[in-house]
Amino acid sequence: MATGLAPAARRVVIEPFVDPPEETLPGQATWYASTCRQCPAGCGIVVRTINGRAKKIEGNPLHPLNQGKLCARGQAGLQVLYNPDRLRNAVRQSGGRGSRKYEPLYWTEALDLLKEKVASLSHPGRLAFLGGLMPDHVYQLTDRLLAALGAAPAVIYDLHSTLEGRGPAQQLSQAFFGTGDLPVYDLAQSDAVFSFGANLFETWMSPVAQSVAFGSMRQGALSGRGFIVQFEPRLSATGASADEWVPVRPGAEGFVALAIGRIIVEERLGHVGSHRDHAVLYQNVDVGEMSAASEVPVDTLRRLAKAFADADRAMAIPGGYLAGQQNGFASMLAVQALNLVVAQIGRQGGVFLSTPAPTVALRNKPRVNPFSDVLNLINRMNAGEVDLLIIHGTNPVYELPAATGFAEAITRVPYVISFSPFVDETAVWADLILPDHTYLESWGYQVPSPGTDRPVISGQQPVVRPLYDTRSTAQVLIDLAARLGGSAAEAIPWAGEETYLQEMITGLYGSSLGAFDARTSAGFWTLWRQYGGWWSEKEIRREPEITDIVQKPLPMSAPQYFGDPEEYPFHLHLYSSIALTDGRGANQPWLQETPDPMTTVQWGMWVELNPQTAESLGVGDDDIVLVESPYSALEVSVVIYPGIRPDVVAIPIGQGHQDYGRFAQAVTGSNPLGLLAPVTDPDADSLAWGATRVRLLPTGRKKKLARLESLDGQGRESIG
Amino acid sequence: MSEASPNQPKHANHPDQMPEFEERLLLAERKDWEINEAVLQPMFKTGRGFWILVAILGAIVLWGLYAWGYLIYWGMGTSGKNRPVYWALFITTFVFWVGISHAGTMISAVLRLLKADWRRPITRGAEAMTAFALLMAGLYPLIHLGRVWKFYWMIPYPNNRFMWPNFQSPLMWDLVAIFTYLIGSSLYLYLALIPDMAMARDYTDGWRFKLYRVLALGWRGTEAEWHKLHRALGIFSVAIIPIFLSVHSIVSWDFAVTVQPRWHSTIFAPYFVIGAVYSGLSALASILIIVRRSMRLQEFLRSEHFDSLGKLVLVAGMAWVYFWFAGFIVEWYGNEPIVRELIHEEVSGRLAPFFYLQMSANVIPIILLVFKRIRTTPVLLLGTTLLVNVGMFTERALIVIGSLQRNDLPFNWGSYRPTWVEISIVAMTFAGFALLYTLFSRIIPFVPVWEIKEGRLRYTLRRIGRLLVPTAAEME
Amino acid sequence: MAKDANQSVEGSIRWALVVDLDRCTGCQACVVACHAENNMQIVGEKEAAYGRWTHWIIIHRYWEGEYPNVKARFMPVMCQQCTEAPCEPVCPVFATYHNEEGLNAQIYNRCIGTRFCGNACPYKVRVYNWFRPEFPEPLAEQLNPDVSIRTRGIIEKCTFCIQRIRRTEIDARAEGRSPADGEIQPACVQTCPTSALLFGDLNDPDSRVSQLAHSHRSFRLLPELGTDPGVIYLKGGEVNV
Repeated sequence: MATGLAPAARRVVIEPFVDPPEETLPGQATWYASTCRQCPAGCGIVVRTINGRAKKIEGNPLHPLNQGKLCARGQAGLQVLYNPDRLRNAVRQSGGRGSRKYEPLYWTEALDLLKEKVASLSHPGRLAFLGGLMPDHVYQLTDRLLAALGAAPAVIYDLHSTLEGRGPAQQLSQAFFGTGDLPVYDLAQSDAVFSFGANLFETWMSPVAQSVAFGSMRQGALSGRGFIVQFEPRLSATGASADEWVPVRPGAEGFVALAIGRIIVEERLGHVGSHRDHAVLYQNVDVGEMSAASEVPVDTLRRLAKAFADADRAMAIPGGYLAGQQNGFASMLAVQALNLVVAQIGRQGGVFLSTPAPTVALRNKPRVNPFSDVLNLINRMNAGEVDLLIIHGTNPVYELPAATGFAEAITRVPYVISFSPFVDETAVWADLILPDHTYLESWGYQVPSPGTDRPVISGQQPVVRPLYDTRSTAQVLIDLAARLGGSAAEAIPWAGEETYLQEMITGLYGSSLGAFDARTSAGFWTLWRQYGGWWSEKEIRREPEITDIVQKPLPMSAPQYFGDPEEYPFHLHLYSSIALTDGRGANQPWLQETPDPMTTVQWGMWVELNPQTAESLGVGDDDIVLVESPYSALEVSVVIYPGIRPDVVAIPIGQGHQDYGRFAQAVTGSNPLGLLAPVTDPDADSLAWGATRVRLLPTGRKKKLARLESLDGQGRESIG
Repeated sequence: MSEASPNQPKHANHPDQMPEFEERLLLAERKDWEINEAVLQPMFKTGRGFWILVAILGAIVLWGLYAWGYLIYWGMGTSGKNRPVYWALFITTFVFWVGISHAGTMISAVLRLLKADWRRPITRGAEAMTAFALLMAGLYPLIHLGRVWKFYWMIPYPNNRFMWPNFQSPLMWDLVAIFTYLIGSSLYLYLALIPDMAMARDYTDGWRFKLYRVLALGWRGTEAEWHKLHRALGIFSVAIIPIFLSVHSIVSWDFAVTVQPRWHSTIFAPYFVIGAVYSGLSALASILIIVRRSMRLQEFLRSEHFDSLGKLVLVAGMAWVYFWFAGFIVEWYGNEPIVRELIHEEVSGRLAPFFYLQMSANVIPIILLVFKRIRTTPVLLLGTTLLVNVGMFTERALIVIGSLQRNDLPFNWGSYRPTWVEISIVAMTFAGFALLYTLFSRIIPFVPVWEIKEGRLRYTLRRIGRLLVPTAAEME
Repeated sequence: MAKDANQSVEGSIRWALVVDLDRCTGCQACVVACHAENNMQIVGEKEAAYGRWTHWIIIHRYWEGEYPNVKARFMPVMCQQCTEAPCEPVCPVFATYHNEEGLNAQIYNRCIGTRFCGNACPYKVRVYNWFRPEFPEPLAEQLNPDVSIRTRGIIEKCTFCIQRIRRTEIDARAEGRSPADGEIQPACVQTCPTSALLFGDLNDPDSRVSQLAHSHRSFRLLPELGTDPGVIYLKGGEVNV
């Protein structure tokens, strides 16, 4: 295969071709290595292009993270590039904000306007930058620019990171290992994985890398087949791949972990030897109480504790669902502590940290801000303290719970600039849209976080010439700095983004670790592009140093929910759709038509009910129910779902777009985030998106969902 | 034909003496020209009702053609089919029309061979029904194609790529069988028509004369011509029977050769044939009753004909029930999961209304037809035979659409809802059939005059001493 | 493959796909990869709800048991490339036929849309183009030039990415060798994150697929029908924790 190593032109087809584009032969594919930007994982991709058009995205087989594999979203990246609803040039909203009437602008005009808006601020503090899934290089440029202007650093919020609990996970790492780097869970070599609400093979952290590891854990390892136990209130697709599903009361996952730990320590299970060091962790834990609170029987807890302790390489994973509770951080601590109890920190099949690349310049990564920073920004916007709001890589009107009031707050900001390539719900409220290139047209790099067993930097390069008159945000920032002059121009002295990138990666040139050698820095640049980044040839794991957290009892915090249990009897369990993730994929028809693995529904949105719950409400499949929280209500069709607790109802996130293009808007429904109460986990200062209660009211109407499966078949494999 | 003396019958003098004899004596008191007049007159008189009927039927046909055009232009998606119900109302109606077409041959070939004399006045109507029903049936293999403009790829024509159709496919057998049957039955219809065309030629002028002159092929009624006609009809009668059996067997194999549960059955071929005869004979009875009334042919189509036809329907119906039961009991006891599921669906599930409709509509007529009063009362017989065809249509729909909703993997089950396009096209063929039949009845003598005259010769009254004795002559 | 591709003998190759159900997580990457590789049309919610989607590979999800002891299992189902394919004899125009490499090939240009094969297929993996495909500009820029776009009125199905088989064979031949085992990867196999899918020559005793085909976990879908599929499933294991 010619995977990104060289253009695949080995045989020349003789054909008249008067003006051949660079590196192109008619009918001959050229593969370009780059980085997927459909989620923050940073998988390496190779893109097949023919005659200047991108035709197929595949995983980069040399990339250590995803090893040639790719998920559904990565495959669908072409529909970001060729999306019919992309903005084709810089625009100004001519009919006022929210009018959806646009007037095209030349880039010189647009940049002048941008410069004028920044330069005319009465105080740099009145500029706010709201970022989301920003590529590292754009974030670093933004950071430099904001610092040079004297403005506050960018506030980073996006729904995807929120749902996977990225912020709390970073804090967990800080608490346990004294570093903000996300740990790597060595799934491939583990033989007993206890996943607490981590949807490992769907959207959590680095799903492709985790799936690759799962494949070898199941059938690739010489030591036999590993098993997974999944603890969560709703059986996710990951739970379906697990060997056992333990339906825990929402928010009580930490109690299960505490009880398992207590049993192991108390009964001296396993082969670790002395548990004396860990006794202090569990000195306040009562297994009976924990069992009652989590509704997991003591027998089950004991059985699982034994299985966990007896396994050679057991591992517990604190997942994103935990972070969605108001006691999320305490639960995550309890889960991570299990790895300590079985001495799996820094060991094979356990938890380790990835080694950073030998260049400091690349280490500045966007870190998810505490949720109070977001609320604070909204307050400032409401108070009229923000004169200019710049938004990149996030869609807060859609991605923040409506109860936070962002949609009202944005109207109070005098001028809003968006970098979105699509007119999403937030861009509708922007005065000026400076559409970024899509990732297949852009330069960049990305340090995967969580990483893998070796230092990796994924490189991003344009695989096709930009389709439209859009401009990369990195270039816009560089141009803006040049126009602003002064400290900004000093902070960002580069002429263009390519030179900026080249300079940023020079630290890697000459490193003895690299998987490729170059004699000159120009040669290094070429190989960087051909490989699609830089990574170490050999595995280099970093053993975490455990902080003094292990010397005091683990915190125990009861779950709290918003909404009166009498009035609102059900827990609302939102989860990110495997195809649409946090709604970002909703404008890609392939992802819309991709069936949800568990319900097999294509397009559409739904609420999942336990058969028992549905019966008590008197509703069946496809019946529309009104889901009502103390904040809002929405109507949605029912899916009878055997794998969910009777007191929990689940709705996938991703649909309910008011804007964001024809494919996203084709699906009727409301954004389920509207139901959420803006409550937080005080320990991690993160949005507790799983802590709202709702009630259901049958409407008596029906809407047929586009299921792949036949309802008559009742989910059976055969009827023998 | 043997010469028989045209004795003047005096049956009017013996009204209750010999009822059986009277029936056989078919129009014996009429003169030849009177018979000719009686048959031809209704053809020339077209009242307002006729034109209204033609207009209505024509409108339905035009609407159906529009629906077909719509289907071709937009794609098969405008029909209600989906995965896994890839065949639905079109194929159901196709099977139905092929079934209807079977009665013509049944009546005229089998009864001709068996020398059943009561067939004589109804053969023309039966043969026309066969031809028109086949024409309608033949539309469906075209209509249901996804790319109808490529239909000719099914025809084995020589081409430079040596691309031939696949004769392993039952659809190819279908194509061959239906074409053969259509050609055979059309020729058969036409052969028996020639003497009547000549008769009509001699009685008409204007455009009708020109038409009949061409169609009569110069028939003059010589002994040699009659001899040849009889031989030809004899050959055709024998030859068309295997074709008639093969056509519906092949239609059944469209289903039975697949591994689709409930289709994959050995009894399908005879079951389909007998079902075809049952529905075809019923349709014939219905049509004859309607035509008899609208064209005032009471004199020719009399209660004894309906009595005999009713008996045939009764026999076919009982045979159908036997075959149905023979298939059903094996499926039932076989207890294969999917078949069991389908039986449950029919007996107590979603398909139950259709199942009970088809069972009652197919079985109740059998009970009714036992009674002579019902067989000989046109209105009652009309209702009964229409009921049979409702039942038979439902039965085909259950076989085609019902079965396809279930298959070996429950994940892949499905359901089906017809659209206006399908219903319009199905209505188009019903209206088209009726329209063709209506127009046909105004151009072609509906009652085969020469056959009636021939039959009249067979039964005579001879005076032996003081007794009038009915005699029957062996003619063929 | 041991033999030189230049001198391949007819019938010497039997392409097969191994689906390891123990690895499959139901993630749908194969589904989208297949759409991207094979120029499938997008039908939209209304048509999809009526069973008119065009996926060549679908992941069946089966429920077992009742809450709380409930399990869900995934099973990817694509064209089984049967040796005794029920779909082949019923096509009146040879639009579907068996090629010498064991593939159940579908010639889109030849298909006239009787849908007989769709009825005959017990796995129901054949999908039909109910309407004209639409690719709003510039989505058509993505279309794979190696695969023809199917118009309305014809049946399509999984081809084992025959264009990728041929491309790899041609590239290998240009280098004077045969494709190595595992070198040919249909789009689904290429992308499958857990490597649950594996492609190769079943007639080559050294290939991984033929070795896995002899695994005690192997089974075929609906074996009682005698279709002899070219897709081999490996049962999911289970650990009683």
